[in-house]
Amino acid sequence: MIAIALHRMRPAGAALRRGLAPLASLRLTLVFIALLGAAVVATYLSELRSPWPLAAVLALIAVNLACAVLANAVFRRQTPLLVFHLALMAIALLVAAGRLTYLKGQLELSTGETFGGELTQSESGPWHRWGLGEARFTSLGFTIAYHPGIKRDRTENTVVWNDGTGRQQRGVIGDNQPLVLNGYRFYTSPNKGFAPLFTWYPAQGAPHRGTIHLPSYPMNEYRQALEWTVPGTGITLWTMLQFDEVLLDPGRASQFRPPEKHTLVVRAGEARHELGPGQRLALAQGVLAYEGLTTWMGYNVFYDWTMPWVLAACLLAVASLAWHFARKFAARSWSEA
Amino acid sequence: MSAELLWLWAALLAYVAAGSLAIVAAVMNRRPERAILALIGAGVALHSVAIALRWARLEHGPFVTLFEILSSNVWSLTLVFAIAYWRVRAVRPAAAVVMPILFMLMAWLVVSSPVEGRLPPTYHTLWLYVHVAFGKVFLGSALVAVGLSGVVLLRAAGLAPAGFGALPGAAQLEELAFRFMVLAFVFETLMLVAGAIWAQDAWGRYWAWDPLETWSFLTWLALAFFLHLRTSVKLAPQLGACAIIGLFVLAFLTFFGVPFVSTAPHKGAI
Repeated sequence: MIAIALHRMRPAGAALRRGLAPLASLRLTLVFIALLGAAVVATYLSELRSPWPLAAVLALIAVNLACAVLANAVFRRQTPLLVFHLALMAIALLVAAGRLTYLKGQLELSTGETFGGELTQSESGPWHRWGLGEARFTSLGFTIAYHPGIKRDRTENTVVWNDGTGRQQRGVIGDNQPLVLNGYRFYTSPNKGFAPLFTWYPAQGAPHRGTIHLPSYPMNEYRQALEWTVPGTGITLWTMLQFDEVLLDPGRASQFRPPEKHTLVVRAGEARHELGPGQRLALAQGVLAYEGLTTWMGYNVFYDWTMPWVLAACLLAVASLAWHFARKFAARSWSEA
Repeated sequence: MSAELLWLWAALLAYVAAGSLAIVAAVMNRRPERAILALIGAGVALHSVAIALRWARLEHGPFVTLFEILSSNVWSLTLVFAIAYWRVRAVRPAAAVVMPILFMLMAWLVVSSPVEGRLPPTYHTLWLYVHVAFGKVFLGSALVAVGLSGVVLLRAAGLAPAGFGALPGAAQLEELAFRFMVLAFVFETLMLVAGAIWAQDAWGRYWAWDPLETWSFLTWLALAFFLHLRTSVKLAPQLGACAIIGLFVLAFLTFFGVPFVSTAPHKGAI
């Protein structure tokens, strides 16, 4: 019975291979590679940056590759070549899966503040599972070294977080050194600045403590002002940080730090006030206390679960390609080539 | 003139002597192969000292300014060619084609300012060395293939000096050039992979289609196209040689052209 079944399958397999032959053509592969190049150029030059032309051509290549693997006997005879092409298919599928589930975003945290899952900007794939709320960490402050000429060097940001067992962990992250929580990779960014800390005592209700993030420093050195609304009120305040010190001297190496002496200029309507740390300002619906100046750090966050698998597939592709050509070239020495 | 520049000039003189001797030997149908290899080797050794002195003084490798990038590329291209010259006999007459190409890079190097630069914060990673090393082997292998292709085309055009007469036939040279292009393809793939790992930690994404990434990928695609074409269609040696030279020009423009016009943080050659 088994022998009869196999006998029937072989002609069926041959017929399938014959049917797939036009789609498995190596010349078709050349056309698709050229099309992929054209799609890359079109995507690069286009303002829209739509992923669909690339996705369409990659799908065509995947079909061509799958048919070639099924229909072309050379793949069955040459294992490295088969592994290389399967690895290429895996890369294309993983990249597509990554685009459907990735997340890229930005966030800002004041020193001492805990990340609660809110991003200032983000873009994500349609199937991203939002797990940022479980990726909680607290920034304990940072140092940034500057070379002469105000050239930014390393950023070292101390952070604490709870691991899977609930134990607190402490580490230093930077532009190149991420904090990885729940698959999300948090990096410091060049975006950082000063954060005045206030407590708002409303006429009725509990006090509210928080910071405002002044524009990024030193990029906005001469625009250290912000308009904001006091929580729970309609009161709009224009606040500017004022100091005379040179914080980052272009002539020598320095460190990012808040000024030693400063005042806050606060405008409420037509009234102008100057506040130092510890001073209070009486407003229509309560009292605003200026507690002091701290800093804020901007972070980039990235999520793509496919990354280690894409890397593994890439390495497998390179290794199998090298293996294939090494075997092929071994037949004749390079001097006799 | 600083010590490191003196060592560099000594290296350049050795390279020029090696290249000139290779051209004269090709024209005169002589084979002073040991002398040429010794001069290239001496040039690489002197150049290594120049790079090491600058590295020690600035506390970073030749990765930042145009001067440093050109210097390190002249060094690496010559080193890869020297190894091929030493190990593969058929490559040796191609020195008369390869060295003039390197002379052009050397001329660019001597007119560029040896200004100092600061290592950006994203360069404090092992992946810088891995990415750059793979890139250098890629371009070096492609250069050897260009040298062989140049010999094929000069012979086909009837412009070959007498010294090229002793070389194998066009088909055999083109096959050898193809092997070096395969090597280039493997190392370009590794360069892109290492660059993506670095980019992930440098900029929080492994690929973003910035100009240098896009053109590097296009170079990779063009190389993949060529290798596929070469294995699926019978190409005339002259056509294969033209394709290899075209691919090298594309790779060269990617690494030494795109960074000049791009405003993205990924600077590559600059």
